[in-house]
Amino acid sequence: MLLEVKDINVHYGKIAALKGISLQVNEGEIVSLIGANGAGKTTTLKTISGLRPLTSGQVLFNGEDISKLAGHKRVQLGIGQSPEGRGVFPGMTVQENLLMGAYTRKDDLTADLDEVYELFPRLAERKNQFGGTMSGGEQQMIAIGRALMTKPKVLLLDEPSMGLAPMLIAQIFSIIKEINKRGTTVLLVEQNAQQALKLSDRAYVLETGRVVKSAPGLDLLDDPQVRAAYLGGH
Amino acid sequence: MLDDFLNQFLPSTVGGLVFGSIYALVALGYTMVYGVLRLINFAHSEIFMIGTFTSLVVITAIAPTAPFTGLAMVGVLLLIIVLSAAVSGGAAVLLELVAYRPLRRKGATRLTALISAIGASLFLQELFALVIIPWLTGKPGRNQQSSLRIVDRDTVFTIGNAQVRTDHIIVIVAAVIMMIALDRVVNRTKIGRGIRATAQDPEAAVLMGVSIDNIVRITFLLGGTMAGVAGALYLMEFENTVFNVGFVLGIKAFTAAVLGGIGNLRGALLGGVVLGLIENWGAIFLGSEWKDVIAFTVLVVVLMFRPTGILGESLQKARA
Repeated sequence: MLLEVKDINVHYGKIAALKGISLQVNEGEIVSLIGANGAGKTTTLKTISGLRPLTSGQVLFNGEDISKLAGHKRVQLGIGQSPEGRGVFPGMTVQENLLMGAYTRKDDLTADLDEVYELFPRLAERKNQFGGTMSGGEQQMIAIGRALMTKPKVLLLDEPSMGLAPMLIAQIFSIIKEINKRGTTVLLVEQNAQQALKLSDRAYVLETGRVVKSAPGLDLLDDPQVRAAYLGGH
Repeated sequence: MLDDFLNQFLPSTVGGLVFGSIYALVALGYTMVYGVLRLINFAHSEIFMIGTFTSLVVITAIAPTAPFTGLAMVGVLLLIIVLSAAVSGGAAVLLELVAYRPLRRKGATRLTALISAIGASLFLQELFALVIIPWLTGKPGRNQQSSLRIVDRDTVFTIGNAQVRTDHIIVIVAAVIMMIALDRVVNRTKIGRGIRATAQDPEAAVLMGVSIDNIVRITFLLGGTMAGVAGALYLMEFENTVFNVGFVLGIKAFTAAVLGGIGNLRGALLGGVVLGLIENWGAIFLGSEWKDVIAFTVLVVVLMFRPTGILGESLQKARA
């Protein structure tokens, strides 16, 4: 098991955001977290990447307890994240943004940079444009490409489809599939449950800080309760 | 009146550039810390003060019998600049460690940090007045302390009726060198990319493997170094200092940072020079006792029309 979250509780002040979430991600999988706004999806990702401290529970990566490890050190272990709202550095060019992903790396970057530009030809055309002047879809590409530059073993994607046009959403999802095919494990948080479930090996349904259901993606796609709650009820 | 102005315009311009260079160097520290932490580091003025006293002590220790010339002058200048930069840089790092980091760890609000900054400023002033200055100089800590002259006031060349002296050139050239160096560090090095990333989006920076603590420490070190150099240049030029020398100068430098667009390195530079020039030009009409009034009036007027300062962009958006 590559990543395991064991019964974590996370609080914002006195408010409990996560109430005992447990989940597992195996090497090579695409796993999704779906659920309504405020269910705790983003908080779960942020806790895994070390942006939020946990009150109790454990995050294990490759069997090692990383619950207390500072966020910037988790990147080096192989946890890459494209954050909610994309977090593109607005005053840096596309290329500088991508190089930020390699901030802690000392090895040769050319091959990885080429690969990101091959996955996102749009970025290759705009290497020297500032991140802050790019469209939402392009910023999403920067955020994913930048996370890939950290050479992650597991890639955490927070709402990659948010605010994008339907065509672009399809494109982003097929790129996620491609990234996974090339050997990167993916943990995906999505509001767009339909697309996410189609793509996922397994998925967890979150409600108000708890896991209420977990099953293979396609099974959840057919689950009447999930359909009613998250897929428009057909 | 106009005659006066024309007569004094060029000399005032030279004086304004000298003051402006020092404001700009100090302003860089305010603007960098603001860019990274969104904190107005009010104790930065004391970091500058510490720089002036470091130079004072060094100059007193080498006790020149006369102002230096040639290589000896360059050597002494480099010595006071390097030592003041080192001591001020170290003091700034220590300040962050003691006054700000514990609050950041606990997730304190920005207002709390601001109060801590004001407290640290007063603490350092009083610490110097009561303990350190008497110990260093053997004189009462609240007195003006004057320094020996290390650079002669020789006129190197004249522009119209303005005499440009050796000391003017030293201040301006040293300030320009430091600013170019800082600009390089921020825009061309890995540490610089870390600083810009932290300023633009701290959470995303962590996800890139940037240690925020480390970046904050380096930011204070760089800002403190600049203030230390400013302190050395100030002492060389004005030949005196006092425990609260940083107070008005610090507020002016902060004004310069806001005037240029806080968070923006080039804005701090521009704001410093503009402020130095305007207060010197204004003083021709109103007398030099009006300098401070002029400086702050300019600030209020500029902010009324351009609330984000002259260059407008902040460190989050700008390249530098």
